[in-house]
Amino acid sequence: MKPRWRKIFHDLIDNKARTLLVVFSIAVGVFSIGVIAGSYQYISNDMSASYAMNRPANVELRTTNFDDSVLSSIRNRRNVADAEARRVFNMRVRTPGSDRWTTLDMVAFESFEDNSINLLVPVAGKAIPAKREVLLEKSALRDLAVDVGGLLEFELPDGSTKIMPVVGFVQDTAAGAGDFLASPSGYITLDTLPYLAQPKLYNRMFVTVAGDGDDPSYIREVGAAVKDSMEKSDVIALRSRIAETHRHPLADIVNAVLGILLALGILIVFLSSSLISNTLSALLNQHLRHIGVIKLIGGQRRQVFLMYFALIMAFGVLALLIAVPFGGIGAYQLSLFIADKLDFTLLGYRLLPLPFFIQIAVGLLVPLISGLAPVVAGSRVTVLRALSGDVADDGKPVSSAGEKRLSWFDWIQVKATRVLAARGLHVPRPFVISLRNTFRRKSRLALTLFTLTMGGAIFIAVFNVRVTLHDYIGRIENYFRADVTLDFDQAYRIQEIERVLKKVDGVTQVEGWQFMGGELMDANGNVVENIALLAPPSNSELVQPILVDGRWLRSDDIRKMTVSEGLRKSFPNLQAGDFVNMRVNGRNEIWQIVGIFKFVDQEGMIGYAPFEYISKINRQANRAFSYRVVTERHDRPYQDAKAEELDKYMRDRGFKVRIAQAGSASLDTAVESLDILVTFLLIMAILTAIVGAMGLTGTMGMNVLERTREIGITRAIGADDRAVMRTVIAEGVVIGLISFGLAVILSIPFTYLLSMIVSVAIFQTPISVVFTYLGYAIWLALVLTLSTVASIVPARNAARMTIREVLAYE
Amino acid sequence: MMTVQTLNQRLIELRDVKKIYSTAAGDFVALKGVNLQIGAGEFLGVVGKSGAGKSTLLNMITGVDRLTRGEVIVNNGEAVSIHAMAEDEISRWRGRNLGVIFQSFKLLPMLTLVENITLSMDLCGNFSPKRSRQRALELLRLVEIEEHADKLPALISGGQQQRVAIARALANDPPILVADEPTGSLDSVTADHIFDLFQRLVMEQGKTIVMVTHDQSLAARFSRTLSIIDGEVGEFPPQTDVKSEDEAVAPPKWRFPWRRRK
Repeated sequence: MKPRWRKIFHDLIDNKARTLLVVFSIAVGVFSIGVIAGSYQYISNDMSASYAMNRPANVELRTTNFDDSVLSSIRNRRNVADAEARRVFNMRVRTPGSDRWTTLDMVAFESFEDNSINLLVPVAGKAIPAKREVLLEKSALRDLAVDVGGLLEFELPDGSTKIMPVVGFVQDTAAGAGDFLASPSGYITLDTLPYLAQPKLYNRMFVTVAGDGDDPSYIREVGAAVKDSMEKSDVIALRSRIAETHRHPLADIVNAVLGILLALGILIVFLSSSLISNTLSALLNQHLRHIGVIKLIGGQRRQVFLMYFALIMAFGVLALLIAVPFGGIGAYQLSLFIADKLDFTLLGYRLLPLPFFIQIAVGLLVPLISGLAPVVAGSRVTVLRALSGDVADDGKPVSSAGEKRLSWFDWIQVKATRVLAARGLHVPRPFVISLRNTFRRKSRLALTLFTLTMGGAIFIAVFNVRVTLHDYIGRIENYFRADVTLDFDQAYRIQEIERVLKKVDGVTQVEGWQFMGGELMDANGNVVENIALLAPPSNSELVQPILVDGRWLRSDDIRKMTVSEGLRKSFPNLQAGDFVNMRVNGRNEIWQIVGIFKFVDQEGMIGYAPFEYISKINRQANRAFSYRVVTERHDRPYQDAKAEELDKYMRDRGFKVRIAQAGSASLDTAVESLDILVTFLLIMAILTAIVGAMGLTGTMGMNVLERTREIGITRAIGADDRAVMRTVIAEGVVIGLISFGLAVILSIPFTYLLSMIVSVAIFQTPISVVFTYLGYAIWLALVLTLSTVASIVPARNAARMTIREVLAYE
Repeated sequence: MMTVQTLNQRLIELRDVKKIYSTAAGDFVALKGVNLQIGAGEFLGVVGKSGAGKSTLLNMITGVDRLTRGEVIVNNGEAVSIHAMAEDEISRWRGRNLGVIFQSFKLLPMLTLVENITLSMDLCGNFSPKRSRQRALELLRLVEIEEHADKLPALISGGQQQRVAIARALANDPPILVADEPTGSLDSVTADHIFDLFQRLVMEQGKTIVMVTHDQSLAARFSRTLSIIDGEVGEFPPQTDVKSEDEAVAPPKWRFPWRRRK
């Protein structure tokens, strides 16, 4: 090996702490980008691929009952590749002996052997149930403590129960797709239906199209034709949904979330690059004498540049050796986690070329770019400056006459110290030294502050975003102000239910609500969106909407409704006052939109229309299937207890209760899924904080190293170990506090930006931002701890040096 | 590279070299228009007190620092005006034509002694890697520390480090050696050995050595001695000195102490 490369090799291995610092600075950025880019590719590819592998239905129709003859006619239609029919209905289920009921979507298959649409993937046990046996979707395990071979108790509409064994678990990628809040499913054969008091008829049609299954307008056309055909057989389509074969319904949201994470990943790379730049500047400063010697004995600028260029490349390669494998593992683990949450399977661990090359590029280019300036400056330094070491300039401004002046900051400090001293307040000298040391290397300080401030601002912003999301969900609770929701299998007279329920202790108010489904159509008559219309009494206080346009309901509204803002995704210029075509109960009608409100839209849109009108067209005047009950107390445990009590109470009196649940039960599930997102954001925030802390440790290490001689002098004139340590730690803490102040300011725009991106991705609408002191308090504590810890090691090293060592240091 | 046509036997010539530093206290004139000729094979000593301008004078000759006015010409077969060259050109030229030795040795601490010497040859590309090592060992033998060839600088004494620095200065076989207080941080016995080595290099290899020192007692051992006072170069001892005129103008005796010791 040539001596110049041997020197570089020694530079790499001799100062292990410095090498590790640079390598880890690069590795953190490469790792983050590897995890995010890898997950992005795993998920965007495998989510759609595994979804497509299970042959998702392009058209799903919820209909009134039909039989095999209708199914056969649909199968024989042109443009239909395949069709399958099922019966889907709700049942309450529990493990025998348990008090806790769970609602299952029961799905009866025409034939498990011939299942060719929305394929079930066996997970455990049998893949095909026999008569009076049930398969469970694996997500049911979250609510039901049951194993293969275990028994489940099913509640029939008349209140009696039936017991069936669970013979296997399956994954149904189509079941949860598009709806975070979907109930888990159970699967049975058609022969089991009579056992559960259900007719052997279908009410769902699943169709795959012959032709381009990824063309939404074509699928819509086929769907409309299928619907028409079914309606000719007197089967009414209550709701329809279309899906592309290779597009997971949640792909947009997941990609948006991954996009945010990617932006944070890039930010981490950016931050780590400032850390690398700092460290390499310090390294070049420490090496100036070497550069001077090299140039003195004939070394040229290009040679010096190439030597340090090679050193930077070596740092990059070492970082890649660490970060690429861990980044790959991290990406797979993160994808597995997301896949599990969204119920799809990954195609297996593998090397992903794009993220791999992105990591290589980041690992080599980022240090190269951030190190370029210091290396060019180092290679350009004159021999005289390099040998005399006067490059360790304090950056003090020089007047035109060549005289060095005090910087404005030093001037303020000197003045402040004097003013305080004149009033008898003496700032301890070691602290004055700390304060002045802080501002000596201004470019280094700026980069350190930048890294630490960005880390802090993101950290604080993530907490604010979390509270913002929760606050929004809280405001959405205004749509669910009832404490208990009671749904019945048949409509009861409102006065009767009110009378019975008000006898229960704690019940203060009862409201009967109607429901109606509709399909919104475009100008060509194609269904664009399903809408569920909730119909509370127009004067109901149980809905307090967040209106963004128009007005709320009136009792005399006819064919008028309010809709959620999410509808603007399908109808971009929608405004209050507009008219829309809507198919209701098989009829095409024109409805006016009188108001637009904010809401969390999951599957399908919701709208509100007055009870007064909807009950008329449902021909159920003064009757309702669904009731909202207000109780004395509104906390969740009380609501749960009351729901259970009312359920039993009404059943005991012969009412056919379908579901009784706490008013905000479904919202809690939404909050849970938001918390997963916040957790990811927090992980990224912690990574940025780690980069910030590493930056501070590096800076403090470099500062101490450069001031070794000064430390020796202070020790020579009487400073003990504690005084030396105090001076160094105080400097770190001052930097930490300044960065905190800056982070507080910067967190405000960050919070707005992050909240907007997240809310648009999740809710399709921007939401009002809420701030919390929590993020600020935690970051303050964290930054003080980090800056103290980051300064302790350099401080200890400084304190350990003997005066002779220090003064002999060169 | 600027070539000067008119130059005779003089190897180095300083013409009206002036160096001014701007400081907080105002301009400081370190060299006040120095005119100096140094012939090939000379062992020139420049004696002066601290701050007299000794190192500045050397920096002008080595091209390490830039002059304010004047010219430095070196004629090693081809006459070159050093300060007309760019920084990088000077580095290349210096690597091949001039060896520099400092009081503080300035060896690279992470390289072994032999590597410190081969580095210079590696950078200038005058010798193949194999030949570089052979030559480095020969030079270490010349300075009598061949047995330490593969040690790191920290493991040998200051005197031995200075020998390595001399060997490194000779690596590319330059005709000129420039030494800035090379014995300043050494004890008297070691300093004497180093001085002997310089004299051998002049006598046996025909090197031209320019050495500055504050130690007036060494004056007698140079082939020619000049004094430098407040940026002005003059005869040694200086005219203001208390010594007699005869003593001041008399050429120093040319002695070969290592032979005498034998």
